[in-house]
Amino acid sequence: MNQNTKIILALLALAASASAAALLIPKEGSRHPVAHITLDGELVQEIDLDRVGTAYSFQLTGASGLTNTILVEPGRIRVLESDCPDQICVRQGAIADGTVPIVCLPNRLVIEIVGGGEVFDAATG
Amino acid sequence: MTRPPAKGTRRVTRLALLTTIALTIFMAEAQLPVLVPIQGVKLGLANIVTVYAVFVLGPGDALLILCARVFLGAVFSGQMMTLLYSLGGGLLAWLVMTGLRKLLTKEQLWLCSPVAAIFHNLGQLLVAAGIMKTWVVMAYLPYLVLSGIITGLFTGLCAQYFIQRMEKLRL
Repeated sequence: MNQNTKIILALLALAASASAAALLIPKEGSRHPVAHITLDGELVQEIDLDRVGTAYSFQLTGASGLTNTILVEPGRIRVLESDCPDQICVRQGAIADGTVPIVCLPNRLVIEIVGGGEVFDAATG
Repeated sequence: MTRPPAKGTRRVTRLALLTTIALTIFMAEAQLPVLVPIQGVKLGLANIVTVYAVFVLGPGDALLILCARVFLGAVFSGQMMTLLYSLGGGLLAWLVMTGLRKLLTKEQLWLCSPVAAIFHNLGQLLVAAGIMKTWVVMAYLPYLVLSGIITGLFTGLCAQYFIQRMEKLRL
């Protein structure tokens, strides 16, 4: 093993551990989840998931003509149906904190959960 | 390790053959069900051909094969939007591999694949951030770094064994 291999291996190990750490550290929004729904870069809906009493769903159609059906439940949110070919957003299931946003690439839809309450972090927008 | 550059018909035939192999692998992999419901997580088996081409044929020919495969893959899978993501990721990964080519010996070339896979995924996310007009997609980066290392090691080792076997054949 020469120097170059050692450096590359060390960098890979560093990248792996940094990624694992990023996934394990608790994210904002885990206490008071507020969902931001963005279509094509524009915020279209903001839902305080703690104030959702009964589950409801609604549809959103983007500029691409594709439609996502979004299901809002107390404390969590998911894409229930989608016209897109890959269905990744549907299979991702419900999200309840800010670890991973739901992204539907074909429809340019993003559902992210940000911290709500008094200390609203404007930088996340 | 690098062959003397083939010319004319021989070179075109070799490029076409490798593009066909890469495209076939790509289309076969696209038929597999999605195992991890996260955008961008996939095996990327077609990159075995890319790694082989970068190290054996040289970066220029590898770029030709890569671009042809990415374009035809988007056409055949019927999702032209994927062209942008694949090109963003593919070109960044190609750049990284071209750089690493000088640093790694013949027995170590498998190492370039996980690095290239990480940059491929980073490139895709940068394109996605541009298209979606938000940096939120970067939240996927940790997942894609981890999956890139795993799948990259696999394709890298495949390419390594492939190159060693091909040398014994002396085609």
